[in-house]
Amino acid sequence: MTKLANLLLAIVILAALSTAAIAAGDTLAEIKRKGVLVAGVKDSLPPFGYIDEQTRRIVGYDVDFARAIADKLGVKLELKPVSSASRIPQLMERHIDIIVATTSNTPQRQQQIDFSYAYFFTVQKFLVKKGTVKSLADLEGKKIGTAKGSDSEQNASEALPSATILSFDDYPQAFLALQQGKIFAVTTDEAILAGIRQKAPNKEKFEIPDFQISDEAYGIAMRKGDSALRDFVNKTLLEMEASGQAKEIFEKWFGPQSATPMSRAFSITADK
Amino acid sequence: MDPWLDFTVIRNNLTYFFIGSYPHGNLGGVALTLYLAVTSCVISFVGGLILGLLSVSRHRAIRYPTLAVINTVRGVPLLMVIFWMYFLLPSLLGHPVPESRTVIAALALFTSAYMAEIVRAGVEGIPRGQTEAALATGLRPWQALVYVVLPQGLRNMLPSFVNQFVSLIKDTSLAYIVGVSELTQVATQVNNRSMVHPTEIFFFIAAVYFIICFTFTSISRRLESRLAWRKSI
Repeated sequence: MTKLANLLLAIVILAALSTAAIAAGDTLAEIKRKGVLVAGVKDSLPPFGYIDEQTRRIVGYDVDFARAIADKLGVKLELKPVSSASRIPQLMERHIDIIVATTSNTPQRQQQIDFSYAYFFTVQKFLVKKGTVKSLADLEGKKIGTAKGSDSEQNASEALPSATILSFDDYPQAFLALQQGKIFAVTTDEAILAGIRQKAPNKEKFEIPDFQISDEAYGIAMRKGDSALRDFVNKTLLEMEASGQAKEIFEKWFGPQSATPMSRAFSITADK
Repeated sequence: MDPWLDFTVIRNNLTYFFIGSYPHGNLGGVALTLYLAVTSCVISFVGGLILGLLSVSRHRAIRYPTLAVINTVRGVPLLMVIFWMYFLLPSLLGHPVPESRTVIAALALFTSAYMAEIVRAGVEGIPRGQTEAALATGLRPWQALVYVVLPQGLRNMLPSFVNQFVSLIKDTSLAYIVGVSELTQVATQVNNRSMVHPTEIFFFIAAVYFIICFTFTSISRRLESRLAWRKSI
């Protein structure tokens, strides 16, 4: 099924690429004319994009950045839920104007889409039962879980060729498998792992050992050749950093009071 | 020791499970599942009837293309039909189409193909003598089909229709692939937020699907027994 889905996805991307080449227009002017910025966001990945229990609306770190850009443009924001597998085809097909959905900036993706400066940095780590893992070597030959369609999958098999990588539909399933001892570790971006661990009722039994296998920089993705929009987004990101708004958003979702406390070891700059 | 099952996660999200973000957002959850199921059910009933009747046509120019369509659609996984429709429909129509409409189109097309075969079997299951007698009374072929064969055939098709529709109700769960927040997708969203209650959440939605399907089959069983008295042969 996964193979079939990947094949289909490849065809769709190819088809999308061929039409995108013709259709590449000035999205920035188009957004202003419509008065709406359509942003693709995750709707089931706290704290980046998820449905708030009380208001039943999509909220999160990614959503706040999308809103800041829409405000700066002076247009309304429309949020469209996307998955890791569907976000790039949807952008190509002009269903959405930008992707603000934990999209890591990678050289492979740069061939299809343009990225803004990075607005979030994280590293890929492992979530394991306490005391079982001291270093990467302890994970050799073990079963490791992650989620489909993410680049955590690829990074893990490169870093641990002898390990068996099991791809689950979502992180909760992977965590359940870890709790039941079916897998030895769950791997993905630290921010997501911290969120899972924080929610667990028996969180003192789990830990995130202090080593990493890759650096991830999330960028806002746009269609290739949309340079006016990309420049505008980049300018807005730098202004948000300068005014402290970017830090404020970080503190809201990752500050000491949040469900996923992390320290902000980065700032948004023009060189990343 | 933690309690074995903790259903507070269901209670806290009950509104979201039933209507999604409505009214300040799109309809979702159980309501959307029902909407998708009922709409595609009605469309595929009509579509299946038309395709089925075309596939028993005496003219090859009608029969062969119809059979080609039916067999193509039946030979492709539903997930693909949904995915393709999602990208195909807007480019065919030249304007954006809401995701839920593309899912309805896909479900209706897919189910129509299966319904067509049920219709074909139902029509061919009526003894030839019925058609011959109808034609002998001076009815035209289409009149013989509509007034004599179909009324008897449809009654026999009913259980297979119900089977197909129950399957359709459950197939709406595949709409998640294009980001439509029907019941299964809503459950995934809540599950990914609460992280630690997958058993409770998926037990709950399984129960909801069962209730919907069971209600539907009960109603249709009643309908069947009401129609049975007119069965004379």
